[in-house]
Amino acid sequence: MSSIGQTTRPPLQRSPLRRSLDGDRLLTLACVGLPLIGLILFFAYPMVIVFLRSITVGDSYGIGNYTEVLGSAGFWRATRHSLTMGGATTVLSVFLGFIIAQGLYRCAFRGKWLIRSIIVLPLLAPSLVQALGLIFLLGRNGVISRALGVEIEIYGFWGLLIANTLYALPQAVMIIGAALVLLDARTYEAAEVMGASPWRQFRDLTLPAARFGILNAAFVCFTITITDFGNAAVIGGDYSVLATEIYSQVVGQRNFNMGAVVGIMLLLPTVISYSIERQAMKRQQAGQSTGQVAYQPSFAPLRDITMAAVSLVICAGIVAVIGIVVYASFVTLWPYNMSLSFKHYNITLAGGYSSLWMTIVVSLAAAVGGTVAVFLLGLGLRRLPQAIAQPIQILAAMPAAVPGMVLGLAYILTFNSTATPLYLLYGTAALIAIVNFYHYHTQGFLTVMTGFRQLPPALEEAAGSLGAGLGRTARDIVAPFIAPMLVSVFFFLFMRSMVTLSAVVFLTTPKLSVAAVTIMRLDDAGLTSQAAAFSTCVMAVVCVAVLSMKVTMALMGRRSRSKGAV
Amino acid sequence: MYLTVRDATKTYGTFTALDRVSIEIEKGEFVCLLGPSGCGKTTLLRLIAGLTDLDGGEITLEGATLSDLPARKRDFGIVFQSYSLFPNMSVAENIGYGLKIRGISAKEIAARVTELLELVKLPQMADKLPGQLSGGQQQRIALARAIAVDPRVLLLDEPLSALDAKVRATLRDEIRQVQRSLEIPTLMVTHDQEEALALADKIICMNHGIVVQAGTPEDLYHRPATRFVAEFMGSSNLLATEEVARHFPDLLATYPADKKAYLACIRPEQIAIKPAENGVATVQNISFLGNLQRLELDCPAGPLLVEIHGRSPCRTGDSVELSISTEACTWVLDDAEQTETTPA
Repeated sequence: MSSIGQTTRPPLQRSPLRRSLDGDRLLTLACVGLPLIGLILFFAYPMVIVFLRSITVGDSYGIGNYTEVLGSAGFWRATRHSLTMGGATTVLSVFLGFIIAQGLYRCAFRGKWLIRSIIVLPLLAPSLVQALGLIFLLGRNGVISRALGVEIEIYGFWGLLIANTLYALPQAVMIIGAALVLLDARTYEAAEVMGASPWRQFRDLTLPAARFGILNAAFVCFTITITDFGNAAVIGGDYSVLATEIYSQVVGQRNFNMGAVVGIMLLLPTVISYSIERQAMKRQQAGQSTGQVAYQPSFAPLRDITMAAVSLVICAGIVAVIGIVVYASFVTLWPYNMSLSFKHYNITLAGGYSSLWMTIVVSLAAAVGGTVAVFLLGLGLRRLPQAIAQPIQILAAMPAAVPGMVLGLAYILTFNSTATPLYLLYGTAALIAIVNFYHYHTQGFLTVMTGFRQLPPALEEAAGSLGAGLGRTARDIVAPFIAPMLVSVFFFLFMRSMVTLSAVVFLTTPKLSVAAVTIMRLDDAGLTSQAAAFSTCVMAVVCVAVLSMKVTMALMGRRSRSKGAV
Repeated sequence: MYLTVRDATKTYGTFTALDRVSIEIEKGEFVCLLGPSGCGKTTLLRLIAGLTDLDGGEITLEGATLSDLPARKRDFGIVFQSYSLFPNMSVAENIGYGLKIRGISAKEIAARVTELLELVKLPQMADKLPGQLSGGQQQRIALARAIAVDPRVLLLDEPLSALDAKVRATLRDEIRQVQRSLEIPTLMVTHDQEEALALADKIICMNHGIVVQAGTPEDLYHRPATRFVAEFMGSSNLLATEEVARHFPDLLATYPADKKAYLACIRPEQIAIKPAENGVATVQNISFLGNLQRLELDCPAGPLLVEIHGRSPCRTGDSVELSISTEACTWVLDDAEQTETTPA
């Protein structure tokens, strides 16, 4: 045993610097500092600008813009429409979402993977694809309208309601599903033994336990509906909503201050809804206990066949709406010559496919830069005292409360002004990558923080005691540990950047466009089939991204399959 | 003195985790920090490791202060209760990590890893991932990882608490063996008095952020200074002075001269009993514990606990005579009131 060599020991190093100037401390400051400067420059500052512009009247400040907007009938109509649409979509998508989630997690039938895969399809396409699909199905020349020989007025409330519901449904299913999956099988066994009927169990156990999930889903659906621009622009018709109102103020009438006012007004409901949602989420997490046993439903024919049928009908609707877009993109001349061709893939609008390549580059940049930024931020925040970390965390979680339209408007007001050197960014692809990242900053940040919370502090402490500095610990210990989170943040940012429209719609220029904007322009120009073809290309890219993510995750899972809990 | 902690103080808001604690470790010594949860023992270990900053006081190693030195420059080894092996690295990579940081060549690292795997009796495990090992095996690797860099001090934070009883006993002996053979000064945190008694050269018993008593295991067991130590280290009979004066006046011979409040502490195995008609005490209950029997007696001085090796000479309900030698009685300070009023 004494053979263990006594390596010659260097004399104990006295650090020449005070602890406060230690290299690791500087690194920690850099980790937090750089992303924080980004957040301030590209989120907080533009938001301040948009607010200041909303109260700018002539050369001074005042509430004149607000009184003007609040006095206009158009604004109240758009507000009424937004709230009605938000409410109706929320009710419908939460109701349908609950049915599907209940089917997936509380019922026993085969083919759930199919429902799971179909339900997320709307997230993989630009939001205006639902609208396009509905036009091909139910529009004047739609497959269904022609087959039935009826004239359906799809533009307006009903078309928008269906499109928005399809868009919100995946979120509702995921959030409610997450709540249902947490329910402890033991409670149901106890209820069963006490003689509670399945209906009673549903009413007395499932519904109360899922109420925060339902509430949360409702707020999320409401927010994404009133902030969505793509569907409203394509299928809204005369049914103006706040998002289209901002667009027409800014792009149509070049009235930036009025646009800013409407943006601030749109911010109110989303901020309120987001803060309530965060509270609901905390309550749901607080209700969790450890050592739960997952619920394993057993087959109950009446319940399960009904639920499977209803779920399949909803899924068939989603597949029809998205599938018809892909199909229509190949049809020679809709609806007169239904033979298939690649004709529409020859994009005739100026720029052709350049915006698709640009979008891929921008999305990759947003994904790489964003993943690095949230990783550094999470890494640094762990090493800061709570009193400093807390406010930064709150700031980092704020962008989700800001609708994409408002953020985009804030950017154009901030960066298309020669007042600061930031002007240099205007009209560059970099700025589009940046706006995409900050638009989805919250989701990426929260995902990474979840990963950091699972990382035992003892691992970093052990590395530190072995002599590893922060940089080394981050590379060897932390990054491999939270790699799955980083991968999902990367692909999340990539996919959202590929399909988002609302934030970037103000930032594109004739020379620099992105895919979703091109689709909108093609549709505006009456080239609906080309819009479908372009949408199909975007969806293909996103599908490749989804597959890459699955493969990456599977490979990582195989590498660490044998790793147990530490 | 090798490692010295002088007046270490640490507060969290209004809670004082450590209140001017001073301890010393000599070269090659195995010291246990013993105390209930929340007594400050882990805080003290983390201060020494450099994982937490001192609010006051000083820590020196061979006369040089450690206060400005971050954990990674202290050259200490640490083993946590939760194993904390790096899940993405193989066993060999885990053990060699500290050496790699120090820029040792791959060949030397490989040789040293093999050596250490032999030492912790897991020579075949080099290429396994931590998740493929049992808890006891993981903790052995964690120990090998900590001693691989030939640390100046080995810090063990409840290393055995997460293991089941049998593994705990084997690993306990192995830690002792490795520590003895390498003569690494070692500080171990534990709440298990049996572990501390078996392992330590010196036990530092803590409560509410202060050191209550420090000494050899024999000292703490046979000559506890306070009621807290007496109760924490095994079971004991604590009798009020008035009761002793009334029923066992002989024991007062050793009563300390000062005017503080003392209790008589008599360990259960040091009371001799024999069955007798009209004895002073009655046997209330007997628990059979295999090699020994625990008797609960009812006697005029109060209830008494007695332990006897082998067969019990009496049965429940019997009346017995007691004899307690003067040496068996230790006078301990009654710190119970302090224990009750200070929040845990």
